[in-house]
Amino acid sequence: MTADRTSSRPPRASLVRRRLGWTATAVVALLLAVLLSLAVGSRQIAPSAVLDALLHGGSSDAADIVRSLRLPRTVIGLMVGAALAMAGTVMQGVTRNPIADPGILGVSQGASVGVVLAIAFAGVHTLGGYVWFAFAGAGLASVAVYAIASSGRGGATPVKLALSGAAINALLVSVTTGVLTTKAAALDEFRFWQIGSLAGRDTEIVGQIWPFLLVGTVLVIAVARGLDALALGEDVAKGLGQNVAVVRVVAALGATILTGVGVAAAGPLAFVGLAVPHIARAIVGTDHRWVLPMAALIGPVMLLVSDVVGRILFPPSEVPAGVMTALIGVPFLVTLVRRKTVAA
Amino acid sequence: MTATDSRRTDGGAESRADSRTDRPGIRPGVRPEVRPGVRPAGYGLIRIKGGGRGGSFLLHRRSALVAIGLALATVAVCVTYLCVGESFIAPADAVKAVLHTQWGLGQATPNDLVVGTLRLPRMTLGLMVGAAFGIAGALIQTVARNPLASPDIIGVSQGASAVTVGAMTYGVTSFAVLPYLSVAGGLAAAALVYVFAWRGGLQAARFVLIGIGFAVALRSITHLFLTKGDYLVAQQAKVWMTGSLNGRGWDEAAPLGWALLVLLPGVLWAARAQRTVSLDDDTATALGVRLGRVRLGLVSLGVVLASLATGAAGPVDFVALLAPQIARRMTRTAQIPLLCSALAGAFIVVTADLLARKLFAPTELPVGVLTAAVGAPYLIHLLLSSGGRGRKGGTAA
Repeated sequence: MTADRTSSRPPRASLVRRRLGWTATAVVALLLAVLLSLAVGSRQIAPSAVLDALLHGGSSDAADIVRSLRLPRTVIGLMVGAALAMAGTVMQGVTRNPIADPGILGVSQGASVGVVLAIAFAGVHTLGGYVWFAFAGAGLASVAVYAIASSGRGGATPVKLALSGAAINALLVSVTTGVLTTKAAALDEFRFWQIGSLAGRDTEIVGQIWPFLLVGTVLVIAVARGLDALALGEDVAKGLGQNVAVVRVVAALGATILTGVGVAAAGPLAFVGLAVPHIARAIVGTDHRWVLPMAALIGPVMLLVSDVVGRILFPPSEVPAGVMTALIGVPFLVTLVRRKTVAA
Repeated sequence: MTATDSRRTDGGAESRADSRTDRPGIRPGVRPEVRPGVRPAGYGLIRIKGGGRGGSFLLHRRSALVAIGLALATVAVCVTYLCVGESFIAPADAVKAVLHTQWGLGQATPNDLVVGTLRLPRMTLGLMVGAAFGIAGALIQTVARNPLASPDIIGVSQGASAVTVGAMTYGVTSFAVLPYLSVAGGLAAAALVYVFAWRGGLQAARFVLIGIGFAVALRSITHLFLTKGDYLVAQQAKVWMTGSLNGRGWDEAAPLGWALLVLLPGVLWAARAQRTVSLDDDTATALGVRLGRVRLGLVSLGVVLASLATGAAGPVDFVALLAPQIARRMTRTAQIPLLCSALAGAFIVVTADLLARKLFAPTELPVGVLTAAVGAPYLIHLLLSSGGRGRKGGTAA
């Protein structure tokens, strides 16, 4: 059951070749997804015209649409997809739990609480205003989860991390629903934000979140080796010379920042953080130095494709990306998970 | 393989030498089941002196105490529930009213209507819903070997929600039809997950992952309905999706009660069968456990219980996640204790509903808003006060 593939392990050189091949494929897929996202919508624009608009400017209608509407949306899709996918990968690695993701560990919910409180009590109604509340909420939730898990003897063991995440998540959900059931007006505004969507974002948001994305990415890449060691268990990781506590804290910090980026820009998109790491692992194996970049490539592909499909499904209205992601991603997840044994 | 939750007993919780050394007279051909000298730590031996056929079994002392404690706490909160509301009724009067309205004992009192018709049915439903979710959560967490896996994670609640909200959006609003739709939705979703996760066996991690995938997809569909539907439907659906006992009574409680009674033998079987599943696959198989069948049985039972409870009160979130974990951390047993999970679930739901009625009176909150507020802090407290569980050689304090 578990060791059905180890016997036919390819030698190292061909393993690297295969990984490189898959990574190149993912890059091509990402470029295609970006092109689709720029060209397809309620008004189709030929790829040549898209390139023309991006490179030479121009003031035609098509160029305007591409530059002012679709380009910001695509860039945000890229950033959010990569951020959430990497956050999910790290959370699964730290908690050694295959179903850990920003949603189930309460970090997304923290951001949601921030936004709900902003809408209901602070009178903030602009996206640019939500962002900081979302960040603050995600940060506080993370700190709480980690503090609870690391108390007592034994520190933040995977099980305690998972459980304290679930408990904090539950608590925050009840705060959110409590506010929403008592303030009906907030519900109407919130229920569109809650699903997660890339529509109606402008370049201002990109300017606000790119530094965070960069910092988060650097942090999680830095602990890639440490996560590999952690997967072997705490004692082995210590034996390999890793400082387990530092790896966990840095990874958790990186994952929090990345989740904050994703939720602040596009709402609590479910599923990307959960499914993409598994898909990435099924393709390149369990080495985090490969899995993290792969996830950062696949995440945006999934998100952008979902967004495009959502645009053309029921014209003229749009299906939010958050809804489409799950519907498009589930078949892939099911297929890949059925094919291999699951590792976290 | 995943290392999710290494279920390990806390050895040496109290490994004091047992002072009782009255070894039973060993009769030829009859091996005593447990010799007092090698009794596992924390267990007491109960002997039943039957007429010629004595029996003996092990009882986890701490579990028994926790069960009694939880039962007392639940009784206390139930009495409070009957007394407190728009009008306060003294405990003695409340009990009298219950006796009169239910069993025709004693005199008719002015409190009969409030206690017997308004509060008691709702409380009974809350107890049963909580117990059902608690057991369902315990079973599914055991099979999935993952403390995060509960019916509201692997698609049961989402299936029920998708079907129910879809029906609401298309104009079905009668509460005579909706519960059946939710039960059907939950069962259908679970069946789908099982079929897709089955591949020459049921691997725990795969089952949970595919379950979550379906759960998220179904939740998306529910959201589609919500955003497509008009504002009033969204508001109503939101309340249903949070889980509410408001306006429910004997009509919902009676079918659920009968169903639970029918499932009781299954639950008793599950309490025994659970132990074998919490070992790792190879060990269990080597011991002669038919893993596939036992798992299917446990999961089916859990799903049916969760679906029934969802049909009666809506998908009350987090009870199925929190109650088993609270129970397990209180009893400190290797497996999740079913009886304590049921009691913890019942306690959480009734307490949450009491708060939901009183907190923002006269506005009523749905009970699902507060279940997490009741359960989560206690779980956090248990986590804070526990030592490192499941560590090598570590004894949990």
